[in-house]
Amino acid sequence: MLGNWHQLWVIISNPDNVPVVALIVLVPFFTWYALRQAKANDRLIAKLEADPELARTHHRKTQPYHPSWQKEVHVWPYLLRIELLAAIIVTVVLLVWALTINAPLEQPANAAITMNPAKAPWYFLGLQEMLEYFDPWIAGVLMPTFIVLGLMAIPFIDANPLGNGYYTYKQRRFAIWTFLAGFEGIWLVLTLIGTFIRGPGFMWFWPTETWDPDRVEFIATRNLDQMFGVNGKWLVHILPASQKPYADLWAKGLFGIIPVGLYFLVAGWLFYKIITSTPFSRKIFRRMSLLQVVVMEILLIVMLSMPLTFFMRNLFRIKYVWETPWFNL
Amino acid sequence: MPPQQPPPQDPITSRSLAGIMLIAALLLIAVLGWSLYNEEFGLRPWRAYQARFSHVYSRYLEKRLAERRTAEVSLRNRPEYKKLEAAVEAVSEKVLPEDEKIEQQIQLATAQRAAMLHTFQTVRSYVGALTYDYEEVPNTPAYRSEKQSKFRAMQKAREQKHVVNWPVAPGKYVQRSFDYVQLNNEFNVLLDDKAEFLAERGKVDAPVKAAQDKLTAYVHKTLPGLNVAQLEGLLAKARSLTFEVHQIYVYPPGSFLNYLGGGSLVDRCQTCHMGMDPNLVPAQVKLTKANLGLAKSHNAPFTTHPEPILLKLHPINKFGCSTCHGGNGWGLDSVRIAHGRNAHWPSPLYYPSNIEAGCQNCHAADAWTPYAQVLNRGRYLFRVKGCMGCHKYSGFDNQKEQLTDAEHLIEDLDREKTANVEEARELNHEGDNAATNAEAEHFYGEATDLTVENAKIDTHLTVLESKARDLFEEFKTVGPDLKEARLKLRKDWIPYWIAQTHQFDPDAQMPQFKLEPYQVKAISAFIWQDALKGPPVPTQPRGNVARGKKLFMERGCLACHSIDIGNQRIGGDFADNLSRVGEKDKYDYMVRFIHDPQLRSEPYDPFLHKDLSPADYKKAGLPFIFDAQHSTFEGHQIEWEDPTVMPSFRLSWQDARDIASFLETQRTGMKYPSVSYMNDPKLFAQGKAWVEFYGCAGCHEIAGLENQGRIGTELTHEGSKPLSRLDFGFMLTKSEEGILPDGKKAKHGSWHNLRGFIEQKLRNPEVYDVDRYRPNPEGRLHMPTPVLSHSDLEALTTFLLGSIDDATLPPYYIYKPKGEAAAIQKGWWIVAEYNCMGCHQIAVGQKSVLQTLPMYQGPNSVNLPPVLTFEGARVQPQWLKKFLANPALSTTDTNRDGVRRYLKVRMPTFFFTRDQIRTLVSFFDAMSSQPLQYIPPKLKPLTPQETQIARAIFTSPAAPCLKCHMTGVAVHDKHASAPNLLLAKERLRPAWTLQWITNPAAMAPGTAMPSGLFRRENGRWVFNGPLPPIAKNYKGDMAKLLVRYLFEMTPAEQQKLLSRTPSASGT
Repeated sequence: MLGNWHQLWVIISNPDNVPVVALIVLVPFFTWYALRQAKANDRLIAKLEADPELARTHHRKTQPYHPSWQKEVHVWPYLLRIELLAAIIVTVVLLVWALTINAPLEQPANAAITMNPAKAPWYFLGLQEMLEYFDPWIAGVLMPTFIVLGLMAIPFIDANPLGNGYYTYKQRRFAIWTFLAGFEGIWLVLTLIGTFIRGPGFMWFWPTETWDPDRVEFIATRNLDQMFGVNGKWLVHILPASQKPYADLWAKGLFGIIPVGLYFLVAGWLFYKIITSTPFSRKIFRRMSLLQVVVMEILLIVMLSMPLTFFMRNLFRIKYVWETPWFNL
Repeated sequence: MPPQQPPPQDPITSRSLAGIMLIAALLLIAVLGWSLYNEEFGLRPWRAYQARFSHVYSRYLEKRLAERRTAEVSLRNRPEYKKLEAAVEAVSEKVLPEDEKIEQQIQLATAQRAAMLHTFQTVRSYVGALTYDYEEVPNTPAYRSEKQSKFRAMQKAREQKHVVNWPVAPGKYVQRSFDYVQLNNEFNVLLDDKAEFLAERGKVDAPVKAAQDKLTAYVHKTLPGLNVAQLEGLLAKARSLTFEVHQIYVYPPGSFLNYLGGGSLVDRCQTCHMGMDPNLVPAQVKLTKANLGLAKSHNAPFTTHPEPILLKLHPINKFGCSTCHGGNGWGLDSVRIAHGRNAHWPSPLYYPSNIEAGCQNCHAADAWTPYAQVLNRGRYLFRVKGCMGCHKYSGFDNQKEQLTDAEHLIEDLDREKTANVEEARELNHEGDNAATNAEAEHFYGEATDLTVENAKIDTHLTVLESKARDLFEEFKTVGPDLKEARLKLRKDWIPYWIAQTHQFDPDAQMPQFKLEPYQVKAISAFIWQDALKGPPVPTQPRGNVARGKKLFMERGCLACHSIDIGNQRIGGDFADNLSRVGEKDKYDYMVRFIHDPQLRSEPYDPFLHKDLSPADYKKAGLPFIFDAQHSTFEGHQIEWEDPTVMPSFRLSWQDARDIASFLETQRTGMKYPSVSYMNDPKLFAQGKAWVEFYGCAGCHEIAGLENQGRIGTELTHEGSKPLSRLDFGFMLTKSEEGILPDGKKAKHGSWHNLRGFIEQKLRNPEVYDVDRYRPNPEGRLHMPTPVLSHSDLEALTTFLLGSIDDATLPPYYIYKPKGEAAAIQKGWWIVAEYNCMGCHQIAVGQKSVLQTLPMYQGPNSVNLPPVLTFEGARVQPQWLKKFLANPALSTTDTNRDGVRRYLKVRMPTFFFTRDQIRTLVSFFDAMSSQPLQYIPPKLKPLTPQETQIARAIFTSPAAPCLKCHMTGVAVHDKHASAPNLLLAKERLRPAWTLQWITNPAAMAPGTAMPSGLFRRENGRWVFNGPLPPIAKNYKGDMAKLLVRYLFEMTPAEQQKLLSRTPSASGT
């Protein structure tokens, strides 16, 4: 039943959720703020490039600047004073936070009585939400590994020499959109779902819907092979005698390769189209080695699988597309 | 081209951040200030409490101090005080010169010691070091020269002379020279001297001290409480209170500091509840809101504990606070957190109405706990309301479980026996084939041991089998036996009762089931058709209603039953209200039941799972007789008695007929609808299914369902259920918002807790099923509504709330008594099961039902059954065993009371098993602090002269014993109001008898037995009346003499005395 505003307030005001609530405000603000600066720089760059006189004095890889600005400034005082200011402001914010909100401690731990819903700390809620859609070892091991290694790999697969050290949109369009989609579009959304949507039993409750621990939910999901009626009836005839009892597994395993393979091909082609869509991006693409392209493609394809699975599960009630005795995808 | 704009200024170098920096810095400083304040007060709200306490407590102490000062001044002006003070002064003056002399000697010795101390210490350590040096050198030829040189050095140091400026009188010194040995000796002599002088001064000062003690004792006696100095000390403490956490830390027994295993107790409650800190507020000071001047404050947690006796039993430094009260002992952040009222805290503070739930935490094995009246009421309700019929609760009604245990043990022992026989056989065989004689003997010896072991098992088995028999008989049901329904009940009453239990009887013990009309029909039909059809109850002629009423009111029925309704209602609530029993029971059955409640129509054989009819007996070739002597059928134990706790009052058939006739008149004119469907065989199976569904067999004996167990959840650990495990159903949001099931608004979250859950559930068990779709009764809740008054609801809630999983408590807090206390604990279960407290006061402070009835008030209280608080000290255990087994103390003349025949109310026969009697006797002994084994003392036989004196005292006109005490002579006993003294020898304990005849009022306030019969004179009791000439020179203790006389009393002697006691003849 919708309309339980009191509960929504309880969730919002929960000390556990302060960072998430702050995210809702801070992330859009800083995104906007950064893009504003990027746009200003872009305008400046456009102006610099339009004027051949200026273009000659300005190297393209440095911060764009006006003729009247100093080309270089000293760390002290110009950088350090800003850092000091930031440090002071952050200290003030953290102190106020610490003074006003106590640690949300609960009862002494008891393995026999666990909380419901049992939620991870806010920074792991995205990960916990992924566990809803993938096998634990994929969502819990493989994906986090991809995220960590992928983030580490970024400098090595980034073939774009422009836009280092200053805000720019035009020169780093692809990188910015990848970030917006991956971090804000996927990770943040998963975190928000984990905070505001997941109630007792980790069931899906819309905001202001009462978190009833006794709610009964009907969620029938099926695997893709079940939808297509894959049961190994034909495979029995081809398989050697020793494998005949496992025809069902064979059929499912083999069948799953098709959609997964198809996805890899289609998504790979899609990303190829995107990274070669403009003359500028084509120039960057040509600078990349095969290894760089392959790594980037794999990372992007894996990233896209998350929202895809999300929609497949929630809209079409499809659980897995590839079922094997060892893992399900 | 647009006009060229002037280039903007450099955004980095040209912008000043001073303004922002200043604001940020100011903010930081402000926040630092805030955090310092928070550190001091915000995070420590208890500091404000401590400051307030310091203020109000100092104010209170100042007032007390002023009062005390005035009181002490007026005390000093009293002549008694002055006299005592003068005495102290006089003695002091007398001893003064001698005292001063000793003092001078002490001072001289001290000065001499001080003068030599430095030299002595230096020399001693020097010599000690040289001695060690010498000893350390090996005593071998190679080291001889070194050893010798060390020896010389040592000797030199020992012989060296030291000069000391030696005081010989105050201000006078001489030079004295000592060597090491002399120094040592002189030092020891001085020590001894000083000790001697001090002892001497003590001796000289003794009279002063005695006089001072007298003065102090006088002050203590006339002005008890804290004196000025003590109060001043407290006041200083209260005024200079430093802010600090007051904490009780209890290490688990056997652990050390920094115990890391958990389980220790940390309670910081006294940090705010400062009145509970014995260091600040000693036991003599009672702080209440009123005397602290905070009567109107809602936030003044400074009072001292309202029940000091509980703190005495549970010392605060051992038990802390949260052990009993719940709450979060560590918490200090806020009142809510400290009281554990925050979400998820497993043990929130108990609310005042359920405060005794804390007792149950550790006293769950008690049937009755002193000082916990609400909790005891809760336990009582759990029993009498039949909760235990469906819900298992450790301890309640556990005979069946015990029986199963005993049977398992018997099986095990049987198996062991068989194994032993087999092993012995093998050992003998091995012995036969052994190679040597010694080996053979070894085997034979082991075989013999096994045989002896088996003999031991046999004795154990005998005991176990008898215990099993006892347990079988001890089993009682909560409700009546429904096998007798057809013989006992009026047919048309049954469906009405089932459907409208509490309309028929608002106080009914049976809970109200919520049934559809078709269910009522089916259940009634089943009960009717399932019940025994015979053999018929003998028909009885009608009796005398008026006499029946008199008997009903007098004999003690009202200890358990009540009669009349509304304001007129009197009697106990242990059993049913009988004001409409005439509409319910058939007359003939009632007569049989009142005459002997154990009688039943047919016995039940649990082995064959059937009720044995006369035909079964005939087939077995046995007469149709079943009673205590005929309690088996073809070798197995049968249930030969009605499993009711109702005792037999040993009433004659005529008495029973009269009472039944009276009860038959207890009816309204209500017409019952026709119940022809009750004979419909088609309803039988349906009804049986419902009876099983609702677990009726938990409380009633029902043919075919004898083995049905309890259908409800076990409640032994109900109080440990965490909030998240409580199924509020669709009441969840409402309970969180504080909306009560009836729609009324209460405080937010006020019943969203275990207490609220239990209370609402008991009020209406179906409350959490509201809005649930339950079209068929099969899907609905089984639990009926108990229908309780508000206070009973709270009592039962208290009981359940306190029923926690004892694994959550450190084991050393749980009350597991041993020895006498265990005997008490065990006995209470029987006392509770049979409602002994309906008639008797057993514990100090407890009131029996009869004590509250109007007919036993004021002078009529002498008609009450005896108070049993001292029963164990009063009577001999052997006699008590006999009495409990047969309170008539006779097998032939049973329509009487064995001891107090003059009482109208009668001790009934409870059909206790031997085990129960043993338990009860130990209980009474332990309750009176008597050792559990009693050996009667040998009393010195009376000399003829003593007999004469005793006789004279016994018949003295000042206190003619036989005026009240019974003799067995009918004419005399008509006016008697005390037991026959002939019983004394066998019944009473001499020590108690002596205590009783010298001061009966102290033992039983309001007793008819006169106090002050004897007076204390030079360490002996002397009769307080005109003494016969022969007694004038008697030097012995007259009370003891009378006791010895009583214990020698014979019927002939009593007859002789009766004629000598003029006022005893009944005139």
